[in-house]
Amino acid sequence: MTNREQRVAIVPCSGIGKPFGTVSREAAYEVCEVLRPDRTDLVALSKLVLGERDACRRVATQPAVTIDGCMLKCAATLVRLHEGTIVNEVAVLDVYRRHKDLKPEGIAELNEAGCELARVVAREIAEVVDHVPRSEDLTGADHA
Amino acid sequence: MAGWLEVTIDKFTFRVPSDRLFTPDGIWLQAEDGSRLRLGVTDYLQQHSGDIAFVSTRPPRTLLAREEEFAALETIKVNLSLPSPVAGTVVEVNVALETAPELVNQDPYGLGWLTVIDAASWGAGRESLLEPAAYLAVMRSQAEAEIGQP
Repeated sequence: MTNREQRVAIVPCSGIGKPFGTVSREAAYEVCEVLRPDRTDLVALSKLVLGERDACRRVATQPAVTIDGCMLKCAATLVRLHEGTIVNEVAVLDVYRRHKDLKPEGIAELNEAGCELARVVAREIAEVVDHVPRSEDLTGADHA
Repeated sequence: MAGWLEVTIDKFTFRVPSDRLFTPDGIWLQAEDGSRLRLGVTDYLQQHSGDIAFVSTRPPRTLLAREEEFAALETIKVNLSLPSPVAGTVVEVNVALETAPELVNQDPYGLGWLTVIDAASWGAGRESLLEPAAYLAVMRSQAEAEIGQP
């Protein structure tokens, strides 16, 4: 039997200039740099758009969590275009609806409510990551 | 529902149904039985405002003066206060929007309606409302100004 470490690709949207997009990226940093650095890889959406090889390989081969700032869901759409497997599709707006007191404002610099919303999103994603098996059983899998 | 008028500006397409009246600010009114008027927001207003997070409406039995707020929308971009184009009494609100405010984005002329007002004398202010073609022209100029097209 062959096992290898299963890491999760975290793919936030690139909604530059929009508070909810900023929340998605801040949440991604929180997950990948603070909460679960040993289990996650941050994948920039722009690299998928450009077809950057390593980013495309990650979403094609690793389970992914997408974080979208609006309902166009560019992150989820692009991961699917790259035939990735999404284990959780997070919409910041849905989380905000459950935390109405955390209204994000500001773009280059989020207000404190927006920062807290990003931390809430990040904690929810960390729980999802914890439920992804740590090892990928490659027995019989079609991997070279 | 009756037919549609439609305009595409840049990458955006906006629809206007031909069976109701409009305010220049993007509120539609549809006359129903008797003096009942159903109100909502236009496709242009919902697209321009972005994904809706919360909808609040004045409760049934509220007496509304013309131009008094009948509903408020909080979107990912803006907070909108919607003035009633007519005076009357709120008789029904769309309770589905409490748990599914996205209906306003998904179906602004159907399931995303906001409120029903009983407005016996609404016809007196009808001259300030726009027929579909007139609203389409107003909306087109608003959209072109926003997008920066001539």
